[in-house]
Amino acid sequence: MARGVFSLLFRTGIGSGSGGGGGNGDVFGKLLSDILVCPLSRQALRYCPDSQSLISDSIGVSFPIINGIPCLVPKDGKILEDQIKSTGNDDSAGADSGI
Amino acid sequence: MLSHFVGMAVVRRPPASLSSSAALHRRPPLPRPVFSYPRSLFSFSSPLGKTRICCSAQRQALFNRIAPIYDDLNDLLSLGLHRSWKRMCISWSGAKKGDRALDLCCGSGDLTFLLSQKVGLQGEVCGLDFSREQLSIASVRQDLYWKASYQNIQWIEGDALNLPFPDCYFDAITMGYGLRNLVDRQKALREIFRVLKPGSKVSILDFNKSTSNLVNTAQEWMLDKVVVPVASNYGLSQEYEYLKGSIAEFLTGKELEKLVDEIGFSKARHYEIGGGFMGNLVATK
Repeated sequence: MARGVFSLLFRTGIGSGSGGGGGNGDVFGKLLSDILVCPLSRQALRYCPDSQSLISDSIGVSFPIINGIPCLVPKDGKILEDQIKSTGNDDSAGADSGI
Repeated sequence: MLSHFVGMAVVRRPPASLSSSAALHRRPPLPRPVFSYPRSLFSFSSPLGKTRICCSAQRQALFNRIAPIYDDLNDLLSLGLHRSWKRMCISWSGAKKGDRALDLCCGSGDLTFLLSQKVGLQGEVCGLDFSREQLSIASVRQDLYWKASYQNIQWIEGDALNLPFPDCYFDAITMGYGLRNLVDRQKALREIFRVLKPGSKVSILDFNKSTSNLVNTAQEWMLDKVVVPVASNYGLSQEYEYLKGSIAEFLTGKELEKLVDEIGFSKARHYEIGGGFMGNLVATK
């Protein structure tokens, strides 16, 4: 990862506190997913622009980004509602469960 | 200084919804145990009596209550000296221009802002804390006391016992008045070790649990006769009474050096500063 990325994002109107809206938010979210890992599994995170959250596919949990601040305390995670698995687990309807 | 109780990264029991059988059958279970805590920490029959703050939820609530007057009390109770202690902490971390640095238990950001200036625009600083309220204050201060270098800061709400960073990631790590408040200090230090690059340092500032009776007596006097009465003017005497017991349960400088040595740090040194009231542990990976 290039150095000084936080500053670069800030100068282009993206970054912590910006709220990460629209296309800029996608860049910001992508950057966060490049830097951060799941606090529980330590595997890579994936940015989801629809929910503006960081997804840990390894454990099926999503972590929100609130006001430009990623919330990666384990208790902030939510179990994914529809987890698509190659093993063929059923997709389930219903509300997310909070951790 | 005396108000820096933030960022106590603790682990918590999951709410019932996670442990319901329906949830477990729908999807793979999370790693267990996800949240655990030493039973001893939950005893209310401590010799420290009513000042013992036991569970993590109580601690977080305590720190959230003191958050609004936190910084003002730091200045008042240390007569501004906390600023020089924090500068020393930063200096010991070895952070320099272009580095990638982490401030753990960052609270309202004092050490984060100093790191930000140290590493400059080509560097990056992550300020991590367990408390959303403290990070909110930090973010406001970032705008209020604006310096150009502050562009390089990213605030992260996170758990010091489960850091969301890859291995060997940071050139420097600092922690101010956080280690003493963590329920599992060894785990926190192991996480610090994991995310530090080889050859890099962690600099941990906190109260000193002195082996000198004179210093201990003076420290206790200060807490009883100055800190708690001043805090009581803000309606927070109970919150600050927590301090004495917290320091008593902390480790001495030698014990901290031994702990980080056991974890695998190649070098460790604990410096007493502020007349022996404060201490700064410096450990190299």
